Amino acid sequence: MTEPEKPIGSTSSFEEEAVPHLDAVYRFALRLSGAPDQAEDLVQETFLRAYKSWGQYTRGTAAKSWLFTICRNVFLRGRERRQRHDDIVTENVGRDGPGTNPVNPVWVSALGVDPEGDFFESIVDERIIAAIDHLPEEYRTAVVLSDLEGLPYADIAELMEVPVGTVKSRLFRGRRQLQKILYDYAVEMGYIAARSGTDE
Amino acid sequence: MSFFDKLRSLFGDASKDNGSSAAPMISCEEALSIVHDFLDGELEGVSHDQVKAHFDACRRCYPHLRLEEHYRQAIRRAGSEQQAPDGLKVKLMKLLAEADA
Repeated sequence: MTEPEKPIGSTSSFEEEAVPHLDAVYRFALRLSGAPDQAEDLVQETFLRAYKSWGQYTRGTAAKSWLFTICRNVFLRGRERRQRHDDIVTENVGRDGPGTNPVNPVWVSALGVDPEGDFFESIVDERIIAAIDHLPEEYRTAVVLSDLEGLPYADIAELMEVPVGTVKSRLFRGRRQLQKILYDYAVEMGYIAARSGTDE
Repeated sequence: MSFFDKLRSLFGDASKDNGSSAAPMISCEEALSIVHDFLDGELEGVSHDQVKAHFDACRRCYPHLRLEEHYRQAIRRAGSEQQAPDGLKVKLMKLLAEADA
């Protein structure tokens, strides 16, 4: 018997505190893996591991963040096993991160056409999801956890095992990449007109 | 003349227009550099009201804020629609029951 002991009544407390986050964990798994069948496997493995470790979880703390942490670890370990290589992200905040050019290039591109970004509303959900999936994993995870799930920077930093400054850098770059992809798509589809000579 | 100086000469600089308010108005560059922290509720060293006051007063910076808000609304709209398949919870509960056996 190698599994940790679970406290009495753990099944019901797990159902009350962990299972309600099933949709959120599934969304996260889907963004990580990019495929519904893989996401389902990832979710099942995540909850199974969480359940077996439920005795180590402190009741009342952030169960969702804890589940996201397990989910990402399972995903990353699986990816290592398959020896797949994702984009390598250089964490050079000083070159293209917070503290450099605060003017959003998409704003410059949309200046005089749609500077407030109304075009985002015209883009269908499937296209937005596809654009998120196009981001490198480190950016995608940060953007999903912050913009979709509303986690605080500190929780994301703990989950990704990086400093808060790195989270901010990844969010900054991820959001700008995503906005650029969506802006280009909006121009391509004729939702907004392209401004000649200003696109970066 | 820098990009920001040109903007200030065109629209006026909200940071110079702090009137009698207690907290000093932040500059355009500061406001834009912390727009994500502002929207994420993660400001440090500056109050929400100070940053909001700048965006409310500055015609140059306000569209930036709106662009970021529209972006976030679109992302949340797209993401929140996705739910776990109906059968997944059933499979999951069965798996947990088996783990207990």
